[in-house]
Amino acid sequence: MSILFLGTSSGAGKTTVCAMMCRYFSNEGIDVAPFKGSNLSLNSIATKDGGEIGIGQAFQARAAGIEPETDMNPVLLKPSGKGVMQLVLNGKPAMDITKDHPMDRTKVMEDVKAAYARMSERHQMLLCEGSGSPVELNLMATDIANVGLMRATGVPAVLVGDIERGGVFAAIYGTWRLIPDELKPQLKGFIINRFRGDGSILAPALKRIEDLTGMKCLGVLRYEYLRFPEEDSLSSSEGKLEGDDIHSAFLANLDEMISHAKDDGFDFGMLKKMAGL
Amino acid sequence: MEKIVKKVNEEIQRGWLGPDRNCPYHPAHFSGQDCSFCYCPFFPCNDTTFGWELQGRHGPVWNCSDCLFIHRTPVVKFIYSEIERLGIKDAKDPRFDDIFIEAKKRFWKKGKAMMVVGATSDAGKSVTVAAICRILHRKGYLVAPFKSQNMSLNSKVTRHGAEIAMIQVLQAKAAGLTNPDAHMNPILLKPKGDTISQVMVCGKPFADYDVDGYYNEFVPGPGIGIVKEHVEFLKDRYDCVVMEGAGSPAEINIYDKDIANMRAADIADANVILVVNVEWGGSFAYAIGTVELIPEKDRKRIKGIILNNVRGNTENLRPGADKLEELTGIPVIGIIPHADVVLPSEDSEALRGVRSKGEGQSRIGAIRFPRMANFTDLDPLLLENVSVVYVEKPEDLAGVDAIVMPGTKNTVSDLIWMKENGLFDAIKGLWKKIPIAGICGGYQMMGRTLDDSNGIENGKPAVHEGLGFFDNTTSFGEYTKRIIQNEGKLAVGDGGAITGYELHMGMSEVNEKPLVMLDRFHADPEPEGSVREDELTFGTYQHGIFDKPAFRRYFLSFVKHDGKPIDAEAGCDYDEVLEENLDKLADVFGSNMDVEKLLDIAGVRE
Repeated sequence: MSILFLGTSSGAGKTTVCAMMCRYFSNEGIDVAPFKGSNLSLNSIATKDGGEIGIGQAFQARAAGIEPETDMNPVLLKPSGKGVMQLVLNGKPAMDITKDHPMDRTKVMEDVKAAYARMSERHQMLLCEGSGSPVELNLMATDIANVGLMRATGVPAVLVGDIERGGVFAAIYGTWRLIPDELKPQLKGFIINRFRGDGSILAPALKRIEDLTGMKCLGVLRYEYLRFPEEDSLSSSEGKLEGDDIHSAFLANLDEMISHAKDDGFDFGMLKKMAGL
Repeated sequence: MEKIVKKVNEEIQRGWLGPDRNCPYHPAHFSGQDCSFCYCPFFPCNDTTFGWELQGRHGPVWNCSDCLFIHRTPVVKFIYSEIERLGIKDAKDPRFDDIFIEAKKRFWKKGKAMMVVGATSDAGKSVTVAAICRILHRKGYLVAPFKSQNMSLNSKVTRHGAEIAMIQVLQAKAAGLTNPDAHMNPILLKPKGDTISQVMVCGKPFADYDVDGYYNEFVPGPGIGIVKEHVEFLKDRYDCVVMEGAGSPAEINIYDKDIANMRAADIADANVILVVNVEWGGSFAYAIGTVELIPEKDRKRIKGIILNNVRGNTENLRPGADKLEELTGIPVIGIIPHADVVLPSEDSEALRGVRSKGEGQSRIGAIRFPRMANFTDLDPLLLENVSVVYVEKPEDLAGVDAIVMPGTKNTVSDLIWMKENGLFDAIKGLWKKIPIAGICGGYQMMGRTLDDSNGIENGKPAVHEGLGFFDNTTSFGEYTKRIIQNEGKLAVGDGGAITGYELHMGMSEVNEKPLVMLDRFHADPEPEGSVREDELTFGTYQHGIFDKPAFRRYFLSFVKHDGKPIDAEAGCDYDEVLEENLDKLADVFGSNMDVEKLLDIAGVRE
């Protein structure tokens, strides 16, 4: 069973929210693993099986208490400048993508589906992460990690919106609005991230978005001054990180987030249900 | 009155003059103004569209200092043609009344308003307004920026001693206006603590409110009337008022209480442009979501969408933009590439996650107070071979070649913050070793003591120990604020020109050699600031002190990098740099948007 976390923009907090949920469900005794169909990042790590995957999935794997493996991130796109992008497929460099040498999207999508299937077989629950916004009108047709994965696997999805820069209701409603109609039933819920202040003032607006879209609000996560690994250059790098071991420091930060989310009444149960458990 | 009659008689005899570029005050009102009637032949016209009656010391006085009507060339040429036709020789000729009525009938009409709203904070509203102001100004329209409500700690002082947001001052400059005024930003919120803001109305402190009080007392109380009064004032005097929204207009939980966005557009009867920042992704969702969450009666006002800050080829976005047009029924009137311009940033949101600015060789550490205010004071330093590093803790001071302590909304609270996190001692440790400059709040901290025994500044009455670099004492005696614009000269170095403005609570008793002499707006030159060159300490209340080259060069002459003096040769005037960059900005917007549509939206051709 699985769920896909989609962001309404880059830096909305998908990676961290997905890691937090890996940690939460792992603590619940569920065999959970992360997955990201396609990742655009220069920050990668080597897995024990000798492959290369995005740093976000490695972090999420540790949060899930398991070893990172290449199937967690079958496609890694590494911009190497001058319009060239290296395609790392199933952990291995496959080709240099240029304007004249595009990748074969159909074939790559098959690889992603295969990796997804292997991961689903090996684990009880997959927590997937989308890439950027799922509704870039100019890119949607060739998308892999967002609507591509939704279409290929039928995975249910949850939107993560960043309230800090404002316009979050427009972002969530607008993302739902632009998702192709046949995929809308897969959009089950949304999460408001990085909120400061008294959550009760949001209630009427959350209700309105629920009524308009049929999605359920899983909760409002508060702004956390905590540092997490950075996947792309747009993420903020500020925040608390304590201790000598950076990995345990990141995990401790996730624990703090989980504890706050529990205090604030985040509906983990509904998320579990949406994932089909 | 006699003087005015004499001057107008001279003007009648002299005939049409146009812009008087030889006048030392030119342009006193706006660039391109007609100076023929420096003194108005209609004075006092007693028409409340153009002025109002003030109670002066010797009785009522007609105040029309904000009127621009007499400085429009078509008006001036009409008056001269009538003077000639009627054979008028004297300013007291009663037929001027008829000319006035006819001139108003022919050339005055109520201005239009348009508004720029953003899908998020930092969507690029402010620069879009600045660009539109400049584009319309270049086409010969008289335009004024307007933001009903601005929350910002970066403010400036107008000629009339009012405090308004720095960004409206910049936009007024883009519009070619010499004197931005408080009508352009009638409500300014200055965050004081976590939830309380000082509300400034028309540039003067009004009261403090928390979020609840602001939305439930201030807005439905005086708020709406204030917005209406000032936008109408500007519409009487300008062809177009280019308004700026705040945050997102689709915050549906506070929609009915929001007087900064669609409500203001409604009050001003303005067409609206929605700006979306493409850089973070999700821009199409933000755009359609914003449009559709706005109630229908207000949605009709949205006449155009701008996709802003595109890195890479703007053409790639066109198919998506076409689809967006189809879905919303609103044209995408511009796809604007990232504009690489040097302009001050509006609020601290723009500093989020930023640890340094600029790439110059010499590192200037700027103390990043939690309540840091007017941090744009430091921007001109980046014109030199300098980078600015933001300092939040003692370790951040490693390797800095100089320190600047900027202003703060709350000197005492930020002084306590420095003492608690060790910066206070760390800065003391660098005393006499590297140059240290303080501006406003930072300057107050450099003194011996800060006397807040009435608890005005911090709530808790106490006398606080300062850094002790200067033998000065600052007292927060009562809840008052000094707001003043200044010009003058350095009292040290080459005595070059400086400009600045003061905005502060607290008054200082100064026992030091002054840093500057303020001579333009003071009857007698007034010494200000403190300096000890041998101890490398410099302090002043003047915000904007780095704008003109004189102090910037002087201060940098004390800065050493790797033991060697740094080259500070640029010496350019920040004002001119801004002027160039506003042109550059308008070029980028103008060549990537449908300017004809913009003119329709602005309503200036009607």
